Amino acid sequence: MMLSHYLAVSGILFTIGLFGVLTRRNIIGILMSIELMLNAANINFAAFNRFLYPGQHLGQVTVIFIITLAAAEVVVGLALVMAIYKNLKTVYVEKYNILKG
Amino acid sequence: MTEQIIFYMLTAVVLFSALGVVLLPGVMHSALCLGLCLAGVAGLFAALGADFIFAAQILVYVGGIAVLILFVVLLAGTKADLTTRQINDAWLPALLICAAFSWSFDKITRYFSGIIATTAPHPTIRAMAGALLGDYAVPFELVSVVLLASMTGAVLFGRRKAE
Repeated sequence: MMLSHYLAVSGILFTIGLFGVLTRRNIIGILMSIELMLNAANINFAAFNRFLYPGQHLGQVTVIFIITLAAAEVVVGLALVMAIYKNLKTVYVEKYNILKG
Repeated sequence: MTEQIIFYMLTAVVLFSALGVVLLPGVMHSALCLGLCLAGVAGLFAALGADFIFAAQILVYVGGIAVLILFVVLLAGTKADLTTRQINDAWLPALLICAAFSWSFDKITRYFSGIIATTAPHPTIRAMAGALLGDYAVPFELVSVVLLASMTGAVLFGRRKAE
């Protein structure tokens, strides 16, 4: 397999995730699409590490950091979703308009 | 030959389940597709020879994040969600933006075409452990602080209001 194969998969996955972020009405769906985009970036890191810098490991270390931060992000995000849901009783983002400004 | 077959099977699993995450009307089905997609990405990591990331992806993403999202899907939602439409009105501009992005990704992919792996993959766990506790010790500790902060934040946002 060549590097461009993995880059193509990662690019398509990122584009699908971007489409989901732009079009889903459900906030949980938007969070899931963000996870897809993060995974596309992780595939790129691992592929560049494998093909351009064989014998090194710093790309994989970066992936570990990204996975950890994505876990933290999704935990806080889901806690916020549950807090908002308790107040507004809806999961659709166009109803989240109580911010005065 | 075996490598090609495995790669294309994993790619099909990842891309079709990602389409399921984005396009399926039921959020429950989307969350299940997300678990499948993350497992497929773990398989791609294994095909790239990244052994520790493969294990971490299964543990953190498939075992942790996907299950957490499933719990929230079960907690937050009403019966009417099954019949209302889940895609907003901006799907045409979104499609144009995605076309622009995929065009630029295609350019970048062509720039890197023809690069093949010259060496066989080898295990990197020992080297990664040395890096995490050596050169990258400060970011490693900072990430643990971030995890502590996110845990505290989740407890703070998730607790019941004091009456």
